[in-house]
Amino acid sequence: MLTRGTLIYIGQRLVLILFTVLMVSFGVFYVVHLLPGNAFVSDRVHGQALQLLLHEYGLDLPIPVQYWNWIKGIFLHGSLGVSLYIRGLPITPLVLRELSVSAMLGGTALIITIGLGVTFGVLAAVRQNSWVDYLLTSIAVVGYSVPSFVIASLGILIFGQWLNNLTNGGIYYPEPWTGTYGTLAELSLPAIALGFYTSGQITRITRAAMLDVIQQDYIRTARAKGLVDRVVILRHALRNALVPVTSILGPTVIGIITGSVVIENIFGIPGLGKEFVESIFQHDYNVTVGVFTIYAVLIGFANLGVDLVYTVVDPRIRY
Amino acid sequence: MSLRPTKLTLSVGTIAVLLLAACGNGSGTTSSSGLAASQVLKFPVYQSAGTFDPGEADAEVDTEISQNVFDNLWRFDDKLNLVPDLATEVPSQSNGGISSDGLTFTVHLKPNVKFNNGDSFSSKDVLYSWNRSAALQGPYVSNLSAIAGFAAVQKAAGSPPSSKNSAGVTSFRQTLENKLAANDPSLQMSGLTAPDANTVKITLANACGWCLTAWSLQGSTGSIVDQKAVQTDPENWWSKVVTPGQAGGMVGTGPFYMSAYTAKQSLTFKRVNNWWGSPKPTLTEVDIAIHDPSAIAGDVTAWEQGSYDLIGYGGNSSNLTYPLIQGIKGNSRFASQLITQPKGRTTWVSFNVGWPQTGGPFQGSSATALGLRKAFALAVDNTALASTVCHNVQCAPATGGLITKGLIGYLGDGADPLAKFDATQAKSLLKQYDPTGKLTANLKYSYNAGGLNDPVAAFLQNEWQTNLGVSVALDPSSDASQFISNRLSGKYVMARDGWQFDYNHPQDWFDNLWGYLVTPAANTSGFNDPTYNSILKQADQLPIDQALAQYKQLAKILADNVVYIPLYYSVANFAIRSYLTGAGSNTQADYYWNEISIQQH
Repeated sequence: MLTRGTLIYIGQRLVLILFTVLMVSFGVFYVVHLLPGNAFVSDRVHGQALQLLLHEYGLDLPIPVQYWNWIKGIFLHGSLGVSLYIRGLPITPLVLRELSVSAMLGGTALIITIGLGVTFGVLAAVRQNSWVDYLLTSIAVVGYSVPSFVIASLGILIFGQWLNNLTNGGIYYPEPWTGTYGTLAELSLPAIALGFYTSGQITRITRAAMLDVIQQDYIRTARAKGLVDRVVILRHALRNALVPVTSILGPTVIGIITGSVVIENIFGIPGLGKEFVESIFQHDYNVTVGVFTIYAVLIGFANLGVDLVYTVVDPRIRY
Repeated sequence: MSLRPTKLTLSVGTIAVLLLAACGNGSGTTSSSGLAASQVLKFPVYQSAGTFDPGEADAEVDTEISQNVFDNLWRFDDKLNLVPDLATEVPSQSNGGISSDGLTFTVHLKPNVKFNNGDSFSSKDVLYSWNRSAALQGPYVSNLSAIAGFAAVQKAAGSPPSSKNSAGVTSFRQTLENKLAANDPSLQMSGLTAPDANTVKITLANACGWCLTAWSLQGSTGSIVDQKAVQTDPENWWSKVVTPGQAGGMVGTGPFYMSAYTAKQSLTFKRVNNWWGSPKPTLTEVDIAIHDPSAIAGDVTAWEQGSYDLIGYGGNSSNLTYPLIQGIKGNSRFASQLITQPKGRTTWVSFNVGWPQTGGPFQGSSATALGLRKAFALAVDNTALASTVCHNVQCAPATGGLITKGLIGYLGDGADPLAKFDATQAKSLLKQYDPTGKLTANLKYSYNAGGLNDPVAAFLQNEWQTNLGVSVALDPSSDASQFISNRLSGKYVMARDGWQFDYNHPQDWFDNLWGYLVTPAANTSGFNDPTYNSILKQADQLPIDQALAQYKQLAKILADNVVYIPLYYSVANFAIRSYLTGAGSNTQADYYWNEISIQQH
């Protein structure tokens, strides 16, 4: 139920997001235009020919004027502009498509993060000081100690190369990514690599929270009433144990969004993260700024979303 | 108090299932005999096409792909011979196609040609395409510069307006298209006329011995486009797929048309059924994945697994790194499927010869500058370079002049005096012209980082240190466009330089790189010699058989003036599965797709 206070809070946050996005986009716009080089120059395109192209794409205008034109394009035409690298290609459909790919990868990674993290955390807590606990907490430590790009590279080496050689091309992790959204097989390894890193933190926090909760009186009371362990753990303990987990959802989502930049580049996934890096190298200014702006919007809304989830998980929180 | 062990099993099982889902398996196509049932060619490229519009195409990937969609009046065959394409014959004075003064070309067109959307083709399409290219002022517009009225069209077309948004960009092309549709005389080159539907007459402002080859450059200014298709979307027509029954799209007269395009991701081309030309394409479809260059290792694995049929097409033959090449060679299943082909690309070191504002010890024509340039050239053993850096796999020593082996104008193995490694003479020259070492102190070698450029730079640094005792600092540039920009404006004292030929004619090298006759010239060294320019002007006007001696004279002038240090000729490496026939490359470009077929495997 959205209260008036909540609506005001959301309104304030939206204004803040808009302000942040404008600041971020201008900052990025300014910086990328200051980078040396451009998208057009070649042995055949220089001198007068280059000046013609710079003029055509408005790149000879002062940067604030270019930014103003870019902003006008967004608000008046819903257009992020045209690509400089792929001459004249409208980039809005391009980045929206890439956003959907990144969302699919990020969403899957998030499911893996929460699924693995919470499951491992609960199991480790209920089997405290057993081999299960030691194994799962060790996996968690590995998870948050090893960067996702290392997991990704090892995954490719093991499942893409070694398994392929071992089975003489019979079974292997298929590379490269095919089409826009790949296949379930192609998605699995990058999603695990992206999600595994943050799942370690969730495991650790869930375990600690569960250990705290299952020693509470109401849990003892539930058991005394004769409820089976499964019900006690899943219905009574877990919900309260998830409150601290929710508190790190924001950083977790942001970690997945930013982590996708690396993972998408390693696996060649045609998402925003890959585009972000490519566009910088290609001096495709409009694309770089567009992608960065979308990231800023995503992170702003992710934080807002997590803040709203708090109120659902913990009714004591009110805005 | 514990969860049942089955829960743990289930959790682990979920991960196992997910991992198993990640596992695929290879499969091949089969057919009862000969050709494979599936004639779909698949390969990756490592660069998105900037544009397929022949009037504006620049990068190799643009033209290597679009050469299968667009035709020219003539084209290069697999052995780089000029053969008729849309024209009935290659014009010459003997067949009456070129007038005795060399100024008028009469071109007869094949009568049965159609665009691959069914539109008819005639001489008007040639006029439209070439006038449009002249007006667009793209990277290869100078290929048309000898045609009478060329400059007037460029002037009339003007410059594009500065864009306020994407609509602003379109307006320039839209205006041009409107004028061309209305046959606006200001955009018609006076030297280009169509006496009838199957004849084109080209009148030159001055004799031009290289024009025929330049007009034949695939996917470029000489290629023929369909006016109706372009008019549907003057800005982006080339990125639109061709849909039967609908106007627009990337329409040419070639054997393939674009059926799907996902920017920065993939391209699909389909065979034109009942195509007018020959050989008729066997492939029904060509699927191209657009990848980041860093994906090459994974792609080689995918190629081995059968996901791709070849690697290296689309101007990506230098992407296979030495470790990958060794990996393929070391695998008995695939070793024979690695194809090596010399490429028409030469790399050398340029000196600043003619840019006073940049200065440096090599600048000018004094005996000291010349002597020092020669010392630095003779101190480099490019045979050792090819062996050390390229392992004699990715390049060959450039010993026969700047023009690559196999091309018109190649001087012959070992014919370039600057390629003769002579450390003793080099040291002696240095001692003579810079006895104190003052002039050659603080020298820098500038290059764009990446690929072979880094190990080549390190090799050169070592050569100059070892053979001359001169310490040269390395000045890598992580941004290639900035490096090119600086190099073209003469900002480097000593820099990596190179050229990949466009068409098989010495003019492509001597004019673009050290001349000032075509614009924009890429004269990075600033070399400007009246004798050179005079000979170049004469040679450019003569048929190649008469001009060759003069072009060789130009090569000698460059060598005598020690304008460069020859390093290496590039060698292309393709991974081509053995079941492909007709796939490969010459020094210029990939073999056309309509020559390829997939055999049963």
